[in-house]
Amino acid sequence: MTDEQRPSEGRRDDAGRLGAGADPGVWEVFRQEKDGDAMRHAGNVRAPDRELALHYAREFYSRRNESVRLWVVPRTEISDLSDPDLLQPPLDRSFKKPGGYVMRDKLELAKRRAQETAE
Amino acid sequence: MSAEARLPTRHLIQPDLPAFDADTLDPALRAALADLLLTMADDEFVIGFRDSEWTGVAPMLEEDVAFSSLAQDEIGHARLLYEMRSALTGEDPDRLAFHRQPNEYRHARLLDQPKQGWGFTIARRWLYDTADAARLAGLATASFEPLAQVVAKIRREERYHLMHLDAWLERLGTRHGQPRGKLLSALKTLNALALSVFAPLPGEQQLVDAGVLAAPMSELANRWRSEANARLCALSLRPIPAGLPPADGRDHSQPDESFVWLWNEFTSVARLEEDAEW
Repeated sequence: MTDEQRPSEGRRDDAGRLGAGADPGVWEVFRQEKDGDAMRHAGNVRAPDRELALHYAREFYSRRNESVRLWVVPRTEISDLSDPDLLQPPLDRSFKKPGGYVMRDKLELAKRRAQETAE
Repeated sequence: MSAEARLPTRHLIQPDLPAFDADTLDPALRAALADLLLTMADDEFVIGFRDSEWTGVAPMLEEDVAFSSLAQDEIGHARLLYEMRSALTGEDPDRLAFHRQPNEYRHARLLDQPKQGWGFTIARRWLYDTADAARLAGLATASFEPLAQVVAKIRREERYHLMHLDAWLERLGTRHGQPRGKLLSALKTLNALALSVFAPLPGEQQLVDAGVLAAPMSELANRWRSEANARLCALSLRPIPAGLPPADGRDHSQPDESFVWLWNEFTSVARLEEDAEW
């Protein structure tokens, strides 16, 4: 397994693919814990090819029955986006967040009314 | 011997072992079944310990974990099979596993070879796993239902073992130079020895007559050989030679030096305190 702290190593082509800059021996592993769950990133394994990558994913992320499905993806095929202009724009965006709308008083009022009706 | 006296001294903790009444079995068939289970359990136990010698020193970290996990699976199968035998004979499964003398074990001689290189390990494990698969296939429809159930579970786990070993056989067999050279020289030593997995058993005829074993061991060996050789030939590797399984394929009256070494290793803790409770 490799260092997960630096997933953006060697970002290059137009599509943002990690491509040749990424370690070609590394496969990112996704696992589904139970039927219906989302596939979640589990970690990664080092393997010489796709078949052994799946075998090793099985050993590392499901040998104790932790998963019902596994995916392996070559790290070179992952598209990376970490541009702060796109992800962390500098202007105020509080108007896009639900926190600006205060519910507390209205909720209290609704509760009281419901109680009175019940009595 | 009453059914109660036949229970092992320790409670069975193996949830995969179906409950059954050993008293309903004909005594001769019961003895033949117990013997078959001992040979299978010893095979799994010995290969499990052999392959766990790679823990910490396999060619790469991922393979280290994978191969150790495979070895643990085999110890798990051994445990299930020893406990099934115990339910037939009343022996303590731990005593069976750890307190016999080297000449009392019944594993196939294929498993006597000491640990050598990675190519040798892959060759042996591939030969053993494919042979074991042919033997398990011969027990899949066993008329003794608890055995058929246990075999079905073991076969599901062995599927992955076969996939993994076959992936390695193919990689070593097709990388010219050292990997293929070492694999070829290992197969030269091991191919004929692998027939020992099918060494005739004393109660074999009873097992066949009772519908436990689908065919005699020599017939299962033929089925294994034709399948294994198709794969070996596709990779231009040395085929398994014709011939009957050796009658002394499980005879350890003169224990092999490398097995005595392994026995000393795997019994070393158990021998520290004979009557310890685990």
